[in-house]
Amino acid sequence: MTELLVSLLITVIKVLVVLGVFLGVGAYLTWFERKLAGHIQARLGPKLVGPFGLLQPLADGLKLLTKESIVPANADRIVYYLAVVLAVAPALMLFAVIPFGPSFKLFGVEVKPIVADVNIAVLLVFAFGSLLVYGTIFSGWASNSKYAFIGSLRKAAVIIGYEVVLGFSVLGVILLAGTMSTTGIVQAQIERGVWFIVYQPIAFVLYLFCMLAESGRVPFDIQEAEAELVTGYNVEYGGMRFGVFPLAEWYLNVMALSAIAVVLFLGGWSGPHIFGPLSPYLWFLIKMFGLVFFVLWLHWTLPRFQAKDITEIGWKVMLPLAILNVVITAFVYYFV
Amino acid sequence: MPWMNKVSADRVKQEFKEVEVEHTEHTTNLHVKKEKLLELLSFLKNREGYRHFIDFSCIDFPDRKERFQGVYILYNPDENERVIVKTWAKDGKLPSLQNLWACAKWAEREAYDMFGVEFEGHENLRRMFMWEGYPYFPLRKDFPLEGIPEVELPSLTELMHGRTEPPSHDYELLHTRVATLEDLERTEKARLQKKAQLVLNWGPLHPGTHGTIWFLFDLDGENVVQCDVILGQLHRGMEKIAENLHYFQFLPYTDRMDYISAICNELAYVSAVEKLLGVDVPEKARYIRTMFAELQRINSHLLWLGTGALDLGALTVFLYAFREREKIMDIIEGNAGFRLTSAFLSIGGVHYDLAEGTLDVVKAFVKDFPQRLKEYHQLLTRNRIWLRRTKDVGVITREDVFNYGLTGPVARGSGVPYDIRKLEPYAAYDEVEFDVPVGEVGDVYDRYLVRMEEMVQSLRIVEQCVSKLEKLPKSAPYINREHPAVMAPKEEVFKDLEDMVKNFRIVVHGEKAPKGEVYVSGENPRGELGFYIYSTGDSKPYRLRIRSGALYNLSIFPKLIEGRTIADAIALLGSLDPVVGETDR
Repeated sequence: MTELLVSLLITVIKVLVVLGVFLGVGAYLTWFERKLAGHIQARLGPKLVGPFGLLQPLADGLKLLTKESIVPANADRIVYYLAVVLAVAPALMLFAVIPFGPSFKLFGVEVKPIVADVNIAVLLVFAFGSLLVYGTIFSGWASNSKYAFIGSLRKAAVIIGYEVVLGFSVLGVILLAGTMSTTGIVQAQIERGVWFIVYQPIAFVLYLFCMLAESGRVPFDIQEAEAELVTGYNVEYGGMRFGVFPLAEWYLNVMALSAIAVVLFLGGWSGPHIFGPLSPYLWFLIKMFGLVFFVLWLHWTLPRFQAKDITEIGWKVMLPLAILNVVITAFVYYFV
Repeated sequence: MPWMNKVSADRVKQEFKEVEVEHTEHTTNLHVKKEKLLELLSFLKNREGYRHFIDFSCIDFPDRKERFQGVYILYNPDENERVIVKTWAKDGKLPSLQNLWACAKWAEREAYDMFGVEFEGHENLRRMFMWEGYPYFPLRKDFPLEGIPEVELPSLTELMHGRTEPPSHDYELLHTRVATLEDLERTEKARLQKKAQLVLNWGPLHPGTHGTIWFLFDLDGENVVQCDVILGQLHRGMEKIAENLHYFQFLPYTDRMDYISAICNELAYVSAVEKLLGVDVPEKARYIRTMFAELQRINSHLLWLGTGALDLGALTVFLYAFREREKIMDIIEGNAGFRLTSAFLSIGGVHYDLAEGTLDVVKAFVKDFPQRLKEYHQLLTRNRIWLRRTKDVGVITREDVFNYGLTGPVARGSGVPYDIRKLEPYAAYDEVEFDVPVGEVGDVYDRYLVRMEEMVQSLRIVEQCVSKLEKLPKSAPYINREHPAVMAPKEEVFKDLEDMVKNFRIVVHGEKAPKGEVYVSGENPRGELGFYIYSTGDSKPYRLRIRSGALYNLSIFPKLIEGRTIADAIALLGSLDPVVGETDR
């Protein structure tokens, strides 16, 4: 009984920590992105609210929270609100299966720094990734606007294509590790002393593309396409309801998918012990934010594709490549 | 640009006995009866090589029996000659040219909208700028400048608290008619019969249209099945205003047409008026005009580059382009006192002499800008995504260039070297060296490359102007003071009684222009901006027709977008680069 209580308590604490940290970091990522975009674009970015504009996310949040709530006429109210939930929830759930470090003992209890160490973790990632698109589709459908509708349909088309590619690109890693548990995959890399990016470079590149497509970042941000669709699927949302969509898609999702990329390809928390006891966590965060930085960097540099081009590349180029990669990996792994 | 040569005119005379050839001081006109008009025009197009449609409009003579005169301006690209064809509308009707030149449809709709002239055989004779159901024809001479007050528009206070006695505001309650929502809905319904799945309204206020254009897309999935454009949200009746102003007074209004290239507009306008009035421009003024017009062209192309890239999702290019644009704005502001609508030129010269240090700043800009251009090229030109979005999108053939009256970079992108600066040099363009870049395929990418290269050529011109201006003495005149129609510079007016009297006379009475007509055009960043002035010897033009390059360039848009996606629409529109101030006027 006490064991159950203790593990429940530990889980609750872990959930709260993950939620608190990543919602907060997600909000501050807006500040980081604006600052980064500013410097890329030869301007300064936010600098007036607080030192270095550090309080800007708070000001933005306050503004969004105090805005009038407007629901368009003829909107499907239930689905309209449900879309907001469906946008955030899967993005947060993704963090449940991410191991941030090796297990350690605290007061005689073994603690794993992962919310749910399940043996089908990678499958869960696919599942939540696919669920995420419902937020977009519902918002486009429910808000009774043609722009939103077209935007959400574009996104759906992209997600369908890229979920498949994502699955096949990750399959190679699963074959090598022999497990679907995220902790197991990291352990496999640590035991071999090699990150899987060395064995699976093509899969890693494909994964990066899928990550951009799933999170709707440039060059795959067709569901927003502000010039054509006036920000597309979320155009009819106001206040914090509007704020939730970019937060979920652009920040939480990018962070979660980067973390999973780190787990799958970049050896998770492994790295030289140069930061003392916090070393594994710091390594994990460094790798993760390196990827996040890469995504933001692309966002402020590249133009955007067309919807039909994206799906075309996905089905005609990336999928055959991913399948080929899996087949070759399987053969090599079996015979060598 | 020369007008129709004698040999061609004789051939026309031989073929059509009743055609009257009139050589005026500045133009060559063919007068033809309405019945023979189509025959003559197709003869000119197919046999004489007048393939390029420049402009069509009407002139209203309320005192005559056949009230409206149609004026067609055509261009022969092989011989580099223009001709004007005139005809009288019988019973207010003219034949439509839609089978000869596709863009004539828009020009005819505009004439129908403004004059009420009907066009026989026009497939879609709708109002161009005004809404469906608007009862008047504003450019007719009997339509008053201030409009016809007939609609009561009470103030908000009055609506909320009821009428007060005496009224809370001291203003006329009756106003000219404005379009109501029902009017707009009727306009929309009349334009497009839905064939496919859904009709997407793009505009009147939409970030992709760069202004207040209203596109209607009939969509099948993401593919555009048919498209129509509703213009007129920015229609201010420039041509009507011009008829009621002295020549010099209209100058600031030209700034507000294509507000991104104000100085180029002014240059085209003053060139036309100077030709009509016979004003010589001193050398220094010509070079200053050329330099600023080219700076303005770079400025305009930078805006096109920035917003065009922004539309395709490249967010950073926008700010890079605006950084350089700001420098040009500063140069213009330092000389004209204004940044956007500068009113820098004046009839007979320029408003002010060069400000101190201008040439140094321009030199610094000329030195620095090639590096920046390289940056833009690095970001876009070989970018795979950029290529995918722009290559083979919206291909315009050479035939279509002539059929749709396309000019400017849009025509040059399709390989037609139509550049007024070379063909009919104005200002100092005949004294500077530059090349005219042309494209091969005529797609969005070619138009992009043409505009990028034009910036390089403009820079070359600016450089030559600077070295010329440096050699000229500081005291050289920048305005032709001798001519009676030219206003004296401001500082002289305060010191000199004679100048004050002269300015007083011009401001109050205006300077009478000789009788006649003139068509002069300038090479604007958005195509040929032409001014057709018909003068009856008054100090105000009897009719001033503005030929807008942007309007004609836009006229091909519905054709190009058919069967393509809305994502292409944005790339295409960016490459045609219309400015609503000029399309609507």
